[in-house]
Amino acid sequence: MTPVSALSQGAHRLALARRLSDEWRAHGLAARPADRPAAEAAVVALYRLIDAPAPEFVWVPSPTAALSIVHDDPHTFPPVHFQGANLPKYPEGWPLTAQLANLVQDLRRGLDRAVGHGVSRGSWWRPLAIPAERALTTGVAIPAIIDMVVGDALYATLHNCVRALIRAESMPTTGGTDGMTWYGQHDAHWIGHYDAYARLGLAQYRRSDAELLALLAELARSTGWWWPGEGRCVMAERPTEVHTEPLPDALNGEVRLHRDDGPAVRFADDTQVHALHGTHVPTWVMTDPSVERIHAERNIEVRRSAIERIGWDTYIAQARLRHIATSGDPGNPGSALHLYDVPRELWSRPARLLLVVNGSVEPDGTHRRYGLSVPAHFDDPVAAAGWTYGLSGEHYARLARRT
Amino acid sequence: MTTTMPATPTPLTTPTMTLADLTRRSGLDVLDHLERQVTIPVVDGLQAQGDLIVVPYAFVTRAVTLTSGNWSEVPAAGVELLRSAAGGNPHTLVADPGTCRWTRHVRDTMGLAIAMIETSAVAYLIHPEHGGTGIAPGRYVVRRQRERNTERMGWRGDRMIAD
Repeated sequence: MTPVSALSQGAHRLALARRLSDEWRAHGLAARPADRPAAEAAVVALYRLIDAPAPEFVWVPSPTAALSIVHDDPHTFPPVHFQGANLPKYPEGWPLTAQLANLVQDLRRGLDRAVGHGVSRGSWWRPLAIPAERALTTGVAIPAIIDMVVGDALYATLHNCVRALIRAESMPTTGGTDGMTWYGQHDAHWIGHYDAYARLGLAQYRRSDAELLALLAELARSTGWWWPGEGRCVMAERPTEVHTEPLPDALNGEVRLHRDDGPAVRFADDTQVHALHGTHVPTWVMTDPSVERIHAERNIEVRRSAIERIGWDTYIAQARLRHIATSGDPGNPGSALHLYDVPRELWSRPARLLLVVNGSVEPDGTHRRYGLSVPAHFDDPVAAAGWTYGLSGEHYARLARRT
Repeated sequence: MTTTMPATPTPLTTPTMTLADLTRRSGLDVLDHLERQVTIPVVDGLQAQGDLIVVPYAFVTRAVTLTSGNWSEVPAAGVELLRSAAGGNPHTLVADPGTCRWTRHVRDTMGLAIAMIETSAVAYLIHPEHGGTGIAPGRYVVRRQRERNTERMGWRGDRMIAD
């Protein structure tokens, strides 16, 4: 194959990959009612694969509503333990949901073999940050490009930015593990990954694997989260509203949950998930961000979101932070640097707050102000500002220009 | 991103480079509300663009060293030094071909340096929100900004600022 036709085939594949990524992302973010017949048919087919009879279906408006049913019925939805000593010897003795999970694990192993590499990500994982078109022309291998555009992009959006927040809102972080949640539309990231490889002709799956993948794909297209049990299966509807914004460094359509005038996700029973620029926040941050609540909040990202919501100036005034010093901002004529002492409870360790003002102007003509935490030993705002760039106060005072 | 180059590009060493000239020359755009007809100042000392700072190498010779002799030419389309987390806006370095080289292979005792630049003619940093700024010939270290990490647990050092 000549280099030119290889490149055009690559471009063709890339275009198709982008389309598939968009399609699966749309399924993951879908806020329309579940296709109940399609979802139930797929679940019944899954049950049949482990020789279990079709279950009775219980549809509820949200994961929260579903979890209260699941937790109240430990006979149908037994806790799933993965400790060796507690496991029955053969998979047939496991809870139904664990048998299904076993099936899916085997499936993914088989699909990974056909694809040639796994999808697993360690804590070191970061998405590749170059445009796919450029990667293509510089000779990056097609599978890596497909991973970027489909699997990684969908993972960033659906797993990290959407599913994780809904989990945080609906599932307590204390207590034991109950049941096992199946994520329906929020599994679209890994299903889309395997789907793309097959549709692009980059992997050939065994027929049984392809059929099982098709069942899971049907679920990703038709339902919200679900919980399979012995004789009974609880299905949660999809949200009625999902609000997102593009991820800042998005190259492949990645989005995160965001809404600043209401819940970012809403279900039919009014279960709500609030998010500001991808940070999950409790309702009070949206409706009543007072200094008292800010100081009582244990999560620093929530505190920061709440402070930004009321504005640093307001926060500083209302919290009556002790003003240490003010000085001119080097290189930023007409602007000042303000240093404040901060109560120990706010930042959990000694620190002070430096209020800085942007040199450049916002679209509305104002200059953005924001607070930076700096070590507590600074009394001079210029030295504190220099520290933020690794410079001494003497060096930083020579700043000629700030934009 | 498609870059449209004019038939005879204005050299960046033109003394009265405006933001309009620079955006036209580089193919990079900035936000509408920024003033485009004012000449962009060229600075040969310490200067900052948002959360990025350009430090004359003489300030940081003990803190910052090169870990490799490999430099790269800054191409006509420019090179992205840093992409911001909130807004997706990159700080891009542009220079006339053959006048400016850069490298990421730096070690910084402060852990803040992201690149070293060496330029024999005026180079420019462009950012969609902060506009443009000129860098006079010389050698510089580009550093990010940090703040004190205020987590109770976990990494007790500093947190990088994402503009």
